[in-house]
Parts: sequence; structure tokens; C-alpha cells
Amino acid sequence: MNLRDKLRAVGGTGGSPRPAGEASTDCRHFAVYRPAEEFPGAYDLSAETLRMMSDRELPEDLDPRRILYLDTETTGLGGSGTVAFLVGMGFLGDNGFEVHQFLMRDYPEEPYLLKHVAAGLGKFDVLCTFNGTTFDVPLLESRLLMNRMDRSCLDLPHLDLLHMCRRLWKLRLGRCNLGRLEEVILGKPRVDDLPGSEVPQRYFTYLKTKRMELLEDILKHNAQDIASLCVLLNHMADLYRHPEKIRFSEDVYSMGRALEKLERTEDARRCYRLARRGRMGDLAGSALAVSYRRTGEREEAVRVWQEMVRERRGGIEPYVELAKYEEHVRRNYPAALEWTEQAMIRLSEPSLRADGTVQQVQNELQYRYQRLKRRIKEKEQDGT
Amino acid sequence: MNVSQLADQLRRDHMFMKDVTRWEVIPAREARTMPFPASMDERLKPALERRGIHELYTHQAKSLEAIARGEDVTVVTPTASGKTMCYNLPVLSAILKDPDTRALYLFPTKALSADQVSELYDMIEEMGVDIKTYTYDGDTPAAARRAVRQAGHIVVTNPDMLHSGILPHHTKWVKLFENLRYIVIDEIHTYRGVFGSNLANVLRRLMRLCEFYGSHPQYILCSATIANPRELAETLIGRPVTLVDDNGAPMGERHFVFYNPPVVNRQLGIRQGAVPVVRSISGMLLKNGIQAITFARSRLTVEVLTRYLKDMVRDPLGNAGRVRGYRGGYLPGERREIERGLRAGKVDAVISTNALELGIDIGALDACVMCGYPGTIASAWQQAGRAGRRRGTSIVFFVASSAAIDQYIVNHPDYFLHQSPENALLNPDNLYILMSHFKCAAFELPFEDNDQFGNAPGSKDILEYLDEQGILHHAEGRYHWSAEDFPASEISLRSAAAENFIIVDITDPAHHRVVGEMDRFTAPMLLHENAIYMHEGRQFQVEKLDFDACKAFIRAVDVGYYTDADLNINLSLLDVEKEEPFAGTAVAGLGEIKVTALVTMFKKIKFDTHETLGFGHVRLPETDMHTTAMWWTLPDELAEKIPSDRLKNGMMGIANLLRIVCPLYLMCAPQDIAVVYQVRSPITDKPTIIFYDNCPGGIGLAHKAYGMRDLLLQKALQVAEDCPCEYGCPSCVGPVGEVGEDGKRTAVRLLKELTK
Repeated sequence: MNLRDKLRAVGGTGGSPRPAGEASTDCRHFAVYRPAEEFPGAYDLSAETLRMMSDRELPEDLDPRRILYLDTETTGLGGSGTVAFLVGMGFLGDNGFEVHQFLMRDYPEEPYLLKHVAAGLGKFDVLCTFNGTTFDVPLLESRLLMNRMDRSCLDLPHLDLLHMCRRLWKLRLGRCNLGRLEEVILGKPRVDDLPGSEVPQRYFTYLKTKRMELLEDILKHNAQDIASLCVLLNHMADLYRHPEKIRFSEDVYSMGRALEKLERTEDARRCYRLARRGRMGDLAGSALAVSYRRTGEREEAVRVWQEMVRERRGGIEPYVELAKYEEHVRRNYPAALEWTEQAMIRLSEPSLRADGTVQQVQNELQYRYQRLKRRIKEKEQDGT
Repeated sequence: MNVSQLADQLRRDHMFMKDVTRWEVIPAREARTMPFPASMDERLKPALERRGIHELYTHQAKSLEAIARGEDVTVVTPTASGKTMCYNLPVLSAILKDPDTRALYLFPTKALSADQVSELYDMIEEMGVDIKTYTYDGDTPAAARRAVRQAGHIVVTNPDMLHSGILPHHTKWVKLFENLRYIVIDEIHTYRGVFGSNLANVLRRLMRLCEFYGSHPQYILCSATIANPRELAETLIGRPVTLVDDNGAPMGERHFVFYNPPVVNRQLGIRQGAVPVVRSISGMLLKNGIQAITFARSRLTVEVLTRYLKDMVRDPLGNAGRVRGYRGGYLPGERREIERGLRAGKVDAVISTNALELGIDIGALDACVMCGYPGTIASAWQQAGRAGRRRGTSIVFFVASSAAIDQYIVNHPDYFLHQSPENALLNPDNLYILMSHFKCAAFELPFEDNDQFGNAPGSKDILEYLDEQGILHHAEGRYHWSAEDFPASEISLRSAAAENFIIVDITDPAHHRVVGEMDRFTAPMLLHENAIYMHEGRQFQVEKLDFDACKAFIRAVDVGYYTDADLNINLSLLDVEKEEPFAGTAVAGLGEIKVTALVTMFKKIKFDTHETLGFGHVRLPETDMHTTAMWWTLPDELAEKIPSDRLKNGMMGIANLLRIVCPLYLMCAPQDIAVVYQVRSPITDKPTIIFYDNCPGGIGLAHKAYGMRDLLLQKALQVAEDCPCEYGCPSCVGPVGEVGEDGKRTAVRLLKELTK
């Protein structure tokens, strides 16, 4: 057996040699134009609103036309053998939204594709992707490195919509992929979309056959993804500016948390107050009180907890918090004892007993109770 | 009683001494040292001096000098000779001089790497310098990985992680690859066979990437004593190396006792088993408070002995923590705890498989008991090396089993004491392995038309083949990876099978827990349904083996027996490479075969008496292996003259003889080869004796055997003729019960014809 026969015996057979082509000179370019009306508010997006949404360093006077929306289509899920064969880049042009797609028709065209991407990135101030921090950007970085090209073009301020969307909608939606967001948040479900998992195989088949129609779905899918990024960003911006427009109390509460993380405390509290009346009342109330406590506004926090006790919201937490307040701040031990006792009574209600941590909470209350008793006694002795 | 006193007492004990075939005393050896070499950074000296080191042992100093000359170095040292300094000192020196310098450390197991890193940490701490050493393996938390990639001066990992976690993601490791100065590979003697052949290819990939990033690292390799350290090192890395084997470390006096259990049935040639003897020797050491390690060949024997010894020291509550079992398949946490216990002196007796043979730091013990020959001289010395302090006396007992090779060793102690140890063989160009790594390499970096892959042959053919298969895509002079999968995840470096079996204890229905794991080839033997699986002396019965999901479910039981499975082997021919007639019409051949293994039944064996209590059936899918083989057919006229049952017995005898002779003359481990006989072989259509490489693709043993095929038959004949038994015994053709009364005579007659 010669080596070739052995290889066949070891690995099976199939396929035939491919004829050699001509040397490549550039990659393929496609452009898609979408009317400005499809992107409500996009031209008015201000740097101030963006700063409300993200803690990234953004240019002082950001022009929304200088945000580049980018998405890649790849041959796999990562590792240095994965290649971005199609890179789409979109931006707001003078007459609407433009998407420019660069496709490598074969591997030798990769350097040309990367050159277009680097040049594209160079013209913008901010990069906007969906999951680009962990996927698209490292992948392009790796490709530039392997082609011995400069990687500094990727050092743009980066808005990763995946993280921003998760902050707002994870509580309600669970998984936040782009398709689901388009359907549930934007109300525009995709029809006849190519599942992402089929993309690599399509491309490999294209490489062998060079039948361009195989890639049509991929190009369409990519352009749609990029347009959605722009719509989604502006939809979010609208909600940040007008939280009262949010219809789901989960989302209002999530918005509050997001704003608080970005230290927009007043806006956050506004959301918590909105959310207190709905399904998220318990969490929102306690978040509001904690927010006050954090800034030292104890009286405000106490008022919220007292309201929660009156409304019988938030389980035993408000009782415990009030007990802590009386014990450690006011040093009013009898009052603290009173709250602790009430908490213990409240804990015996069947609706709260289902929780698996009941035993531990009970122990903690018991401990607090004993300590307060002791303190009261000590104080009495000191007094006499 | 200390070791010297115990040795004196034993030597006066006639009952014991009558079964001792040799009592060798290896005298103490003084240290030989040299001053710190100039290449060593000044800042290291105070740190070393504070640890009481004012000079280096000769082998350490010589390694440092060769490394300073820019040579690739292989250091050969026995256990506990301070070999880690041979690589730590030059690496630390280089990083102290240029903080951009990077080094990569490879250890065969995670346990070893954890151990060596802690030693390195101590040195760095002692100097108070900012040198970052990180372990990068499956246990490294995701959050820490970024820091390791960016900032680690010394990255400690294992071949598996390098293969699947680092090389395929090399663009994230730019800092490491651009500045890689040293590649340290410890315990290279473990990289034989499949594992070594894989590692050699992983290193080819590594060097390809280094070239891409413009670095030119130097290799520092360490090996235990084997016959061919230079050949092994050079095959692994594909470049010439400088050998440093002048061990300057001191060693206390060592006693080496060869013990052959007495014959209990002279006609059948049956000896007392090794296990009961080891039970009493290890028990005696335990009673005298001498810290000892007992090595057993199988996991099963480890568990049986652990149970015996634990029973000796159990306190009223049933605890016996002073005695511990240790073997592959215990979970890492449990192993670390046992190692710590040994170092701290909290564990007095450990019973282990060869898992503790490697340089895992358990400190030096006073005594070692070997229950049976571990299979190779190198391995035996490694195990013996576990006992032996730099000062003070130590003792090693070798207790022979009735296995032929054990009998050979115990009756020829000189062979063991003076024969050079085995060759470690590997074959980086094994086509299966090579092709897998071509895929990985192409994934990592496209191949240019005229690229070579290290010193691998046939690059052009393999690339063209992979292109034809659509796995690579050729365009404008380059081969690009062109498949969706991630090739490294499909290749396991340690075996041909990728997945391990998980062992789940379901005794407590509310709390299932994973107690261990086992490789795919061993699982059918030990984890078939109704098998008794032993873990730290406790018994479990396998309730269900889910072969597709790779899971075995076990439940605690307490029964008076253990189980032993029978393996059925089938062979079929794939390709004949060479054929040559000899001894008239006989033919010797070399080629490739497919080996199909199937477990069909098991025996239940009673503890203590070791009698068979019953049988059970096993229904499991078969496993396939392609490998290389050589074979001898018998001359036609001879085969026709002898009745077939007698012929079968004679051939069984020859196969048994070859199983003894081949490992000795090919210098490999008995488990590396297999010898089978077929009265009517599907390979040749004739009565045939077949020798094959017992690993997928083969590592070159069949080729080597083909080259010395006449000698092997001559030596087999000699062993049979020299053996004093009349009709056969376990030390030559096999026991009479197996080969029949005419077995030995027929085997000798056939061999005489074949060697005429």
C-alpha cells in the first residue's frame, strides 16, 4: 500500500481534486440601503442618552451617524481556525441606513476583506455589536493577527447590545438572543430566516461549488441583523428617556437596577416607585429602601419599610431592617425587640414557610431576639 | 524497630531467608557537587543559601552550563535527586534578566504540576521578586485565564491542555508565543507509545506556531532512568539533545530483597500467591511503624491489599486512616489528601498502582514492597526509588508472582540489577496520529504548499488527501481549514478513545455522587453489569453500565468475592507489508491488522481462598483497534502431521513463551504487546502465531520484532529447554492444566523445526 492508499484506508474516501483558480485581487462588496423612517429617533440619539445606557467612555459630542453597527458571519464557533467570511457594517447615512457587506469568495481574499473592515472602523467613533465583546471583536483581532495586520482599528468605544439588553429584559425573557428580542421587544418576528447553525456548512458548500445563490440567505440575514442593532439601540434609548413608556413591571424594575448601576440614582428610584404597584412590588420596594440607605437617607428608607409593612409586602425583610435600624441607629432596644417579634410572627404564616431557607432565617431571628433581650436587661441593670 | 534493625532480624530468620533468592545491599553514595555556575543570576544565590544550598550537584551544574550554551538538554535522574533545579534555575535566571521572558512547563498529570508549582512558588517568594507562575489546566477558573495568558511568566500545563486549550487559541497567547524561551518537559519517560507519539506531534505544532511568532525556544527535558533517553528525547522534539546523566545526589544505604513465594504443588508448579506474602510483609512494616509504600499491578489487587491492611489497624470505631489505597480513578481531592498525609507522616502505609510511580511529592519513605514485577525495569526502579532517603537505610522487597516474567526476574536478579532498563518507544509518524495532528495544525495555521510538518514524512500527500476529503481547502498555494468542527476536541492524547466513563454511586437515592472515572478500554473489563467494583477497599456492585452515555451506576454491597472478566480477541488482516519464507514452507509476515475486543463473561472469585464461585454473562459492544502485527506460520507438512488438539496446545505453549521473551528482547512492557495463536488463522489460512503492537496504529514494536524474528523463536526455545519442569509450568509454556501434558513437548518440537 502506498501512502495515499493507506490514507484512504485510515480515513475513508470521497471528493475530487479542485481545479486551481486565478490569483485574487479583492473581496466582493454588497451594499443595502434602508429608508430612514425604519429607524425612528436614530438621527436624534444624543451622547447624553447613550451615557445613561452604558458606562463606556464615549466621545463628548457624539454624532449618531458616527456609530458603526457590525456583525460577522463565521465558519465556526472560535479558535484560530475560525474565519469571518462575511463582515457587514451599517451606519446612518445622509439618506437612510446603509449596510456594506464584505464577502471573501475564497480564503485568499481574507486580507482584502480585513483591509475593508479596518478602513471602515477607522471612519467611526463608536462600535456597536451584539455579543461582540466575546465573539466578533476577538475573532477579528485573531484574524488580523494571523494576517500580520494592525489590530488597533478595533480599539473603538464599544456598545455591546447583548449586555445592555440582558440588563433590561433578562428578568422577563430569560434568554436574550437577537431573534427573540426582535420578536418580543420590537414586535417584528423574522420569516424564512436561516438558522445561524447552518451558516458554516452553507459557506463550505459554496466554497466547493461557487454557487452564489447559496449565500443569498446569509447576506440577507446579516443585513437584517445589522439593521436590527440600530433599531434596538434606539428603542432602548427611548425607554431610558421615558421609563413610564415601559409596559411590563419586570422591565421597569430591571431598568431601575440598570440605572442604579450607572449611578443614576434619582432615575432609578423613579423606576422603583413605578414598579412598586405591580408584580415586582416586593423587590422594587426593597430596592428603593436599600437605595436610600446606601446614600445615607435613613429616614426615607425607614418610611419605605414602614409602608411595606403596612402593605404586607416584602416578607419579613422590612421587619428585620426596621429592627436593625432601631437597634443599631436609634439604640431603641424595646422597639427593635418589638419588630423582631413581629417578624417571627410573620414568618409563621404559611405563605412564607414554603421557602427552603426558613430554618436559617428563624435561627437568625432567634439569635437577634436573645441578644436584644440581653441588651435590654444590661441597660436596666446599668440604670439601677 | 527501624529499618536496619528489621533487616538484621530478617536476615537471621531462616524461614524467611529460604525463599529469598538474593539480598543485595547497595552502599550509600556521597554527594558530588560543583560551585554555582556563572550563568546563574546572582539574585538566586541568597535564596538558595537560605535554604541551605551552597553548591549544586554535578548533574544540576552541568545542565545549567549546557542550557547556557543554548543547547537542548535532557537530564536523566533518579527519584529525589533535585532535578527540578535543573530547569527552575535557568528559567528563573532568564526571567530575572529579562522580565519579558516566558517559559512553558509540561507535566504528564495535573497532580504533578500542582506539586512542582508549589516548589517554584517557594523559590520566587524566597527571592521576593515579581515572577508570575500560573497553572493553566481544566481547573483554572475562567476569570483567571485572561491573566494567565497575558501575565504568566511561567505557564504550567499538561500536554492535553496544550493540545486542546492553548494551541488552537494561540492568538490569545501572543505574549507567550512571541517571548517563549524555554519549554520544560518533565517525566519524559512517561511519553511512550500513543501518548508520546501524540506529544511529539503536539510539539511539532507548538514549534510551527513559535516560528510564526518569531520565537526560538530551547527545550529542557527530564527523564527517569531508561535505556534510551537520548533517542526518546530526540524523537519527541525532533532535534538533537545534550544528555546530562551524571547524578551527583547522595543516597543512603539500600537493601534490595528478592523473595520468591514457596512452591505449594511441585507437579503443577504452583506457588503460594504473592498477595498473601505481601500482606504479611507490609503488615510487618506497618506493625513496626516503618512508613512504606506497597505497589500492586492492578487496581483490584490494590483494593484487596488495602482492605487486608486496613483490617489490621482498624480502631474500635472502624477507622483505619493510617492505611490508604491510591490509584487512578480516585478523585483529585482524595489523592491530594493522601499525598499530604504521606508527607506529614500521618499515613503509614499506602497501597498504590503505578499511579504513584511518577514524581508526585510524597516525600521519601523507608520501605517499598512490590507485589509482582511492574513489567519493566525502568518502572521497577522508579517504584523502588520511592523508598530511600538521602541519609539513613531503606529497604525494598520484590515479591514475585507466579507469572513467568516475575519468575524470570526473581531467579535472575542480576538481569534486573545490571541489565539496562527498557527503551521507551514512540512513533510520531504513526499515520492515525499524524493525520489527526495535521488537521489540528491546519486549523491553527494554514499550510503553504511546500510546508513541512516538523520532520514528518509525506506532508504533501497528507495535505492533498485532506483537501480531497474537503477537510482542507486549497487556494492560491495554501491549505486552509475548511470544516466546522474543532479538530483538537476529537483527539485524546492518551488513548485512541476520547471519552472516559464516569462512575456514579447510587447507594443513596437522594444523593448520587461521582466517585471516579475509567478509560474506555478498561471499562468493559471492570464496569460490566454485576461486576464488583472496589474503591478504597469498599465494595460496590455495578447496577447498570450505560455504554453510550459513558456512565456506570454502582451501589454499595458487602459480599465475600470479587469479579474478574474474560476478554475475547478477534483479528482480521488489513494489509501485508512484508512476507518471507523460512524453515521450509513456513512464512513470516508483517502488516496491519484489526483487533476486535469483546468481554463476554466474568468469574466470581472468593476472597482469601481465591476459588472461583461462579460465572456471569456480559453483553457489551465490541471495541476495535487497528495496529501493526507480525506473524509466523507453521510449515504445512508439520501442521498436517500433528493432530489438531495437540497442535493447539503446542502453539499455546509457544505463544506463552513469546510473551515472556518478547518484552525482554524488545525492551518494552508486557502490556505493550500481545501474542495470540490461531490454529487456522483468517490472516494466513494456516496455523499461525501472531504478535501485535497493543496500541492503535502501533508504535513500531511489530517492526522491531520482525527484524529479530528468528532470535525471538530461538530464545523461546531456550527458555522452554532450560526450564526444569517436565510438562510445562507458568514460567515457560504455561501450566499443565492449560497446555495439556503434551503441550511442552509439542512446543519444543515445533520451535526446533522453526529454528532449524
